[in-house]
Amino acid sequence: MALQTSGRRILLGLVSQSCHHVRGKFHKQALTNAGVQKKRMDLFSKEAERQAALVTDVEKIEVQYQGQPEDCTLIMNKNISTPYNCAQHITQMIMDRSVLAEVDGQVWDMHRPLEDNCSLRFLHFKQSDPYYANKAFWRSASVMLGAVLESTFKDNIYVELCSYPSPNVRTGSFVYDVDLKIPTWTPTKEELRTLSGEMVKLAMAGHRFQRLEVDASLALKMFEDNHYKTLQIPHIAAQSSTGNTVVLYQIGNFLEISRGPMIANTNFLGKVSVMAVHPIQTNQGQLFRIQGVALPKGIMLNHFTYGILEKRAAELNSGRIPVINKDDLQPTKAAEALST
Amino acid sequence: MEVMSLLQNTTSVLAGSVGTTRNMSRMKKTRPFWQPKPTRTLYPEELTPSNEAFGSEVISDHLSSSSPLKCEPWERGVWTQTSMRCGIIARKIGVYPMWDKNGRRLLTTLLEVPDNQVIKYIPPEKLLETTHNKNKNRKRPMEMGALVVGADPIDPRLVTKEYYGLFADTGLMPKKKLTKFLITPDAKLPPGTPLYASHYTPGHYVDVLGTTIDRGFQGVMKRWLFKGMPATHGVTKSHRRPGNIGSGGAKARVLPGQKMPGHMGRKKRILRGLKIWRVNTKYNVLWVQGPAIPGATGSYVYVYDSWYHHCRHTPDNPPPFPTFFQDEDNIDEELYHEDLHVFSNPSISFNE
Repeated sequence: MALQTSGRRILLGLVSQSCHHVRGKFHKQALTNAGVQKKRMDLFSKEAERQAALVTDVEKIEVQYQGQPEDCTLIMNKNISTPYNCAQHITQMIMDRSVLAEVDGQVWDMHRPLEDNCSLRFLHFKQSDPYYANKAFWRSASVMLGAVLESTFKDNIYVELCSYPSPNVRTGSFVYDVDLKIPTWTPTKEELRTLSGEMVKLAMAGHRFQRLEVDASLALKMFEDNHYKTLQIPHIAAQSSTGNTVVLYQIGNFLEISRGPMIANTNFLGKVSVMAVHPIQTNQGQLFRIQGVALPKGIMLNHFTYGILEKRAAELNSGRIPVINKDDLQPTKAAEALST
Repeated sequence: MEVMSLLQNTTSVLAGSVGTTRNMSRMKKTRPFWQPKPTRTLYPEELTPSNEAFGSEVISDHLSSSSPLKCEPWERGVWTQTSMRCGIIARKIGVYPMWDKNGRRLLTTLLEVPDNQVIKYIPPEKLLETTHNKNKNRKRPMEMGALVVGADPIDPRLVTKEYYGLFADTGLMPKKKLTKFLITPDAKLPPGTPLYASHYTPGHYVDVLGTTIDRGFQGVMKRWLFKGMPATHGVTKSHRRPGNIGSGGAKARVLPGQKMPGHMGRKKRILRGLKIWRVNTKYNVLWVQGPAIPGATGSYVYVYDSWYHHCRHTPDNPPPFPTFFQDEDNIDEELYHEDLHVFSNPSISFNE
């Protein structure tokens, strides 16, 4: 495999240098999800600090808030204040229930800094048409499922997350396609319940969905241990507004590449059930499609009706099966192309 | 808010203890820990009308309330003198007089059989495993199985998930009332079998188990039928009191079991050897001898084949065994006992 390079071993930082000296020679260290996550987080936090340090002057912007309890104008800090900070100035109810913000008519993450004078509204789950909040919820649920999958398997299994199809409520479930490098897996009820439990734990941990826009080359460096992401990053970067950046979302120790807005916090996830694992065949081998269904917190439903949703979620999701283009540019070459 | 309304309703709030209510004579009913709670606290679900209708559609499509046998029909046993078949759960709906052919008036209690279905069959080996089974201490345990029978369907969305789990395997609607009837294995029925009033025929005898009316804290005159004392002629403050409660000498104490005022009613009592006078198979009603079935109108009772030796079935009049399959066999709508005077029958006939 093209990725079995010695450079990866150095970047891992898992094994201390002393160990190498005792042994006297390099020996192959197996990749673990924990190690890879730590490496990614180190790079991410450094980049986040660097970007925060770029804002030297505190300029003021006017934010026209429209909504409950009354319309008002807020004076906030440019590139520092987020819609969540605006909500903190309004009421506790707005703070707790707001899932997304609408800035100048465009959907905006709650913890993404505001850039200029704008109009602001908040979106929540119980409004008359929660279309965007719903889409963000399903997207975020997929991402949370990815986070759980990366941290729940045994250390000897290196989980490579592939991708998830764009959220479609009509399919009946949220999905993550993952490469487990094992030929078959029919999970028992207990195993599915464990996965659901991990989702619940992640929800209870109350992590914010922290957004950061990074250069594609840095993203490639962070995700060099995941060859699916490495192939996706150049395409995603090409579609961005600048042509060279990629949007990352952080939940606790997990990082994900995604374009769309996410919900404000993992604790907006209420009842969740991971229902099925289906093997899917892509052009480059087999992946596992993990499916689940969830309800936002505060939406109450009896066990029978929720059971109908669960049964539907267990059926194979009709979402797009990922196409992995390996004949595209090699990862290192892609990085070179982007940096020039 | 709930506490406040409770306080408003009770009359015995003690001064200085605002949060408590005294209701000591209420019979506290506690379920065994292994029994799942049937109902749950309902909360507003804010489902759209179309979603609620969809839920109801799924329930009516997938869950059957009174359908014929769901799975492969089991072998039907043949009645013998020692066979014991299951009973039914009925609801007391009233008391009505009937007249026999000699003109004598008798009172009958109407028992409605509301949508009974067999939920589960427990074979004798499994029944012996239950902790409260005294049968297992015998040298040769009696070959007794059990049938779990349910009555009165309830919407699955209104019950707890644990309670619904009892019915989930069988694909039946959950039931409000459940009971276990001990049977001989030849009387077994598959889950989903409906039980109707035609399980019994006029002329047969039944035992009825019911819970008596809760009369609360009662004095000795009502509770133990004491005579009381005269209203006048100098009787001081002792018109309804028990009077003397002990003897003297060696027995100078209150003997255990002394009848005193206390809680009366809400007890399980069985009335045995009641004759069935009439059966209506369309509305599933039984007319049972006497006005004294335990319980108020609308309460549930359990009906069994009578235990008395002079009331048992004989080879001359065997019962429908294991039950009467009304979906397969035809039966008249009204079945009367031969001694009963039927008002709708013509009484005088003329020979022209």
